[in-house]
Amino acid sequence: MCGLTAAILLTGFTSCGKRDVNSPGVEFMPDMYRSPSMEVYGTSVFNGDTIFSSQFLPVKGTIARGYIPYGYPNTDEGYLQAGLNLKNPIAFSESVVKEGEVLFGKYCIHCHGASGAGDGKVGLKLPGPPPPYTSVALKNLPEGKIFHSITYGKGVMGNHASILTQEERWKLVYYVQKLQGPKETASADSTKTGNAKEIKKEEKTK
Amino acid sequence: MSHLSLKSLVAAFLMLVFFTSGIRAQDGAKLFKQNCAVCHTSHTDAHGTGPGLKGVFDRVPKPADAWIHKWILNNEKVIKSGDPYANKIYNDNAKAAMTVFEGQLDDKAVDAIIAFIKGPPPAAPILAKGPSSDVAATENVGGIDPLYLTLGILVILAILIGALRSVRTSLQNTANRSEGKEENPEIGFWNEVKGWMGTNRRLVGVFSLILVFMGMKGCWDACFDIGVYYTWETKNGYKPEQPIKFSHKIHAGDNEIACQYCHNTVEKSRHAGIPSVNVCMNCHKAITEGATTGKTEIAKIHSAAGFNPLTGKYDESKSNPLKWIKVYNLPDHVYFNHSQHVVVGKQECATCHGDLKSMTLAEQKNPLTMKWCIDCHRQTEVAMEGNPYYERLHKALKEKYKGQYDVKFTVDKIGGLECAKCHY
Repeated sequence: MCGLTAAILLTGFTSCGKRDVNSPGVEFMPDMYRSPSMEVYGTSVFNGDTIFSSQFLPVKGTIARGYIPYGYPNTDEGYLQAGLNLKNPIAFSESVVKEGEVLFGKYCIHCHGASGAGDGKVGLKLPGPPPPYTSVALKNLPEGKIFHSITYGKGVMGNHASILTQEERWKLVYYVQKLQGPKETASADSTKTGNAKEIKKEEKTK
Repeated sequence: MSHLSLKSLVAAFLMLVFFTSGIRAQDGAKLFKQNCAVCHTSHTDAHGTGPGLKGVFDRVPKPADAWIHKWILNNEKVIKSGDPYANKIYNDNAKAAMTVFEGQLDDKAVDAIIAFIKGPPPAAPILAKGPSSDVAATENVGGIDPLYLTLGILVILAILIGALRSVRTSLQNTANRSEGKEENPEIGFWNEVKGWMGTNRRLVGVFSLILVFMGMKGCWDACFDIGVYYTWETKNGYKPEQPIKFSHKIHAGDNEIACQYCHNTVEKSRHAGIPSVNVCMNCHKAITEGATTGKTEIAKIHSAAGFNPLTGKYDESKSNPLKWIKVYNLPDHVYFNHSQHVVVGKQECATCHGDLKSMTLAEQKNPLTMKWCIDCHRQTEVAMEGNPYYERLHKALKEKYKGQYDVKFTVDKIGGLECAKCHY
């Protein structure tokens, strides 16, 4: 009897003194904390299976409010066509570029770096850093292709359509274009031998 | 024998290439990193966007160097020429076209890249091994819990009291016997206690009052813990283990990824959002080894996404959702909106969530009680200047408090204490 009371006292004391970091604590009236309504990231039982709400796909043909379809498929042909035909629907202004810069600081900078040189902290950890916006391959990239690449991803870069709305992507395009610098007007010589010249220069310095 | 000679020949050739073009191979490494590494790995099988280039010289049609040279310069042309191997790899890689480098790289640059791929693998970068940052494991190690200490002392005291009491009775008995008196009648322990309490009423009263107050205080304090997982003194809270050892410190702290990249609905929705696996995969498609946990934890993301890192392909039928555990829980009878606080109110994430950039495991850093909400609403001034959302309200408030100079437009002045703002 004495032992039992001692044990109860002891467990009582210890449970007061320490908390289990994995427990969310005591809830008074749990039904007010966790109501039976469907919750974001919650589960529900469907045909006997427990299903996460994130696993549910919308009914076929469902269109989100304000959704604008993007007509170019995620193929090389789509990339090419987007580059030729797609134009920025947002009127250019300094404030839009500013907004683009803010977005760039949240969604791009960790890989592409502050100046778009591909020297972001994450970019440097990738097997190959993203090519600089001023590189031969990207310097003259048309706005449609930039938009297409943000939407579907390209190479190592992933799909950002789920993160950014079309409007945000177009604002980003303006800022990326600012980082690209003024477009070169097809002076074929300089683009063709750009890399070769670089190498020669280095050889000379050595 | 012939095999051996072939090997030595290749080795000699490699040495030749290496020695005659030392500078070239170095340039090749640089050029490879700039132009190719985005999609290919040079000396492994790992499949990026394009196939890994280990053993590529054995795979392609002979003569290998010439073929690869042609391919790098203009792979489209090679495919269109009907080259069977070119068409095979084009189809094997889901018809993902490689960049045409004609016009960007000249012959010499391409040769330098080929020499680099052929050469020995570059020395692997040594991963800096920081001290293990598993805070949870190192906590509460060493030292005795003060609670056990007091309990131990109490037990020792009880034993002492018992021993002293028996010593006293036996001493008294021997004294009585020597004086020829009768032995003390055996009084029970409780009877003795009762007797003592009867003679010391005032002391007992004071002690019992103190005990009652302590009990009340304990109950009062315990009430504050109901539905609140937070220790007020230490400012520590709920810190559940997550299905993946995800570290905010590595992602947001060391790698400076903005909070909004993963919690990207924070500016658009009531919820900040737990990133879906496709957001993880934006980086972890390429980054397959973690700084502290190696491959085990990132492999969990891959299995959740149904991604095979060897082939670089997704199989949606094998994907399964990650069961992250919510740390910041508000009861369902409270409405809270993230976008309202972050976009309109211009609050920083750290104001409520603490310095997650230094946390390995996410921990609740604020009590989330109503008092906490209200206190903040009473103290925080609304950022109304240059905030178009409040233009009309700002004007009206200026009108209302005209002539008073030290008025602060805190949240409670714009209805931040209304019950129905959060409870409806």
